[in-house]
Amino acid sequence: MKRFPRRLVVLAALTALVLPAFAHHSFAMFDFTKTVTITGTVKEFQWTNPHVVLWVNTEGKDPKTPDLWTLEMTSPGNLTRTGWNRKALNPGDKVVVELNPLRNGNLGGALVKVTLTATGQVFSTNLRDMEKPGLK
Amino acid sequence: MNRWKRAVLLAAAVLSLAGPLRAEEQATGTVNPPPKPGAWAAIAKLPDWSGVWTPYISDQDKRIRTDPVPWQPKVAEQIAAMVAEEKAGRPKGLFIDCLPEGMPTWMLITHNAFEFLFTPGRVTILGEMDGNRLRRIYTDGRPHPADPDPTFHGHSIGHWEGDTLVVDTIGVLPQAYLAVSEAVGIPNNGDLHVIERIHLAAADVLHDDLEIIAPHVLTAPWKTTRIYFRQRARKYDIVEGVCLQGSFAERKDDKGNAVFVPIPHADGNPVPQAK
Repeated sequence: MKRFPRRLVVLAALTALVLPAFAHHSFAMFDFTKTVTITGTVKEFQWTNPHVVLWVNTEGKDPKTPDLWTLEMTSPGNLTRTGWNRKALNPGDKVVVELNPLRNGNLGGALVKVTLTATGQVFSTNLRDMEKPGLK
Repeated sequence: MNRWKRAVLLAAAVLSLAGPLRAEEQATGTVNPPPKPGAWAAIAKLPDWSGVWTPYISDQDKRIRTDPVPWQPKVAEQIAAMVAEEKAGRPKGLFIDCLPEGMPTWMLITHNAFEFLFTPGRVTILGEMDGNRLRRIYTDGRPHPADPDPTFHGHSIGHWEGDTLVVDTIGVLPQAYLAVSEAVGIPNNGDLHVIERIHLAAADVLHDDLEIIAPHVLTAPWKTTRIYFRQRARKYDIVEGVCLQGSFAERKDDKGNAVFVPIPHADGNPVPQAK
């Protein structure tokens, strides 16, 4: 845990107790009372059902061996409806990711929001934001 | 005329007789009759359910509280244990094997979009996730088979009462879950019967009023509603969704072929790096 403070900021414990919308499996293994922010580089962005997955390298204890975070999202169809596309993120992109971390402390989480450092473009995953008929 | 030519002529004569007979059988048969005159034109008079329907997930969450499921006591114990495990962060993934959610769970808990197709004598529902997530609802007046082969989505017949499609479903596999979330549900254990009334509640809002009769797990029929909406101004095409595809990474083999390689998974998730 002692390497957490520099790269991870627990942003807003207990602020957003809204469970994200994911199909296929429950996301209860993630702690939605905690939001963690990581800064790193996209290793791989997998645009597949049932869950889109983003792998991000962050600075590890040993500078030669980065940490690898595994971040899950909802499906490609649902993400498309919230403004994503399969080329939204690409290997090598510098990103800032907000996530609800795994409860067991392993390097994984449910992705809440990702910001591309180069352009400032933001992609978020809250399907409930679009639950209004006739949205433009 | 040699024997070979005679055989060809005889075969042609038999075929010319058989052709009209088969056509006559089709015209009077009830199995797959051709559309009646005007059947396609009649579809234009049905309500407009075109476009892509997305489940109202906030309402799904709410209904778990407002429309409690009348579980039988022994089932309620199992359900309570699953709810406790999920709350403790140890969800039991009911669908991580990628078998279909089936009926009625698809309608109850899906987070993925679907679309309706109207053709003569049939309403078809095509879901976004899983190649086999589809429902065929026969509206041509046929009855259920006496003893249908059980399937995940069962056998559905429907009829229109005004602008409401009334659907009756039986023949669902006993192993298919009656679930209220991805981690809380019980196999229906047989004799499941689902009655749905599907109708537009507003221009872009569709309601499915369900009555779920599951005599081996419920004490009484469970009545609940699920709501779906459409947003015509947005890019909303249905996309292919193959449940197992996420278990594989796109790689190249040693000969340069594009191939899928399994990703280590546990409990439905790619295994993350340990802390």
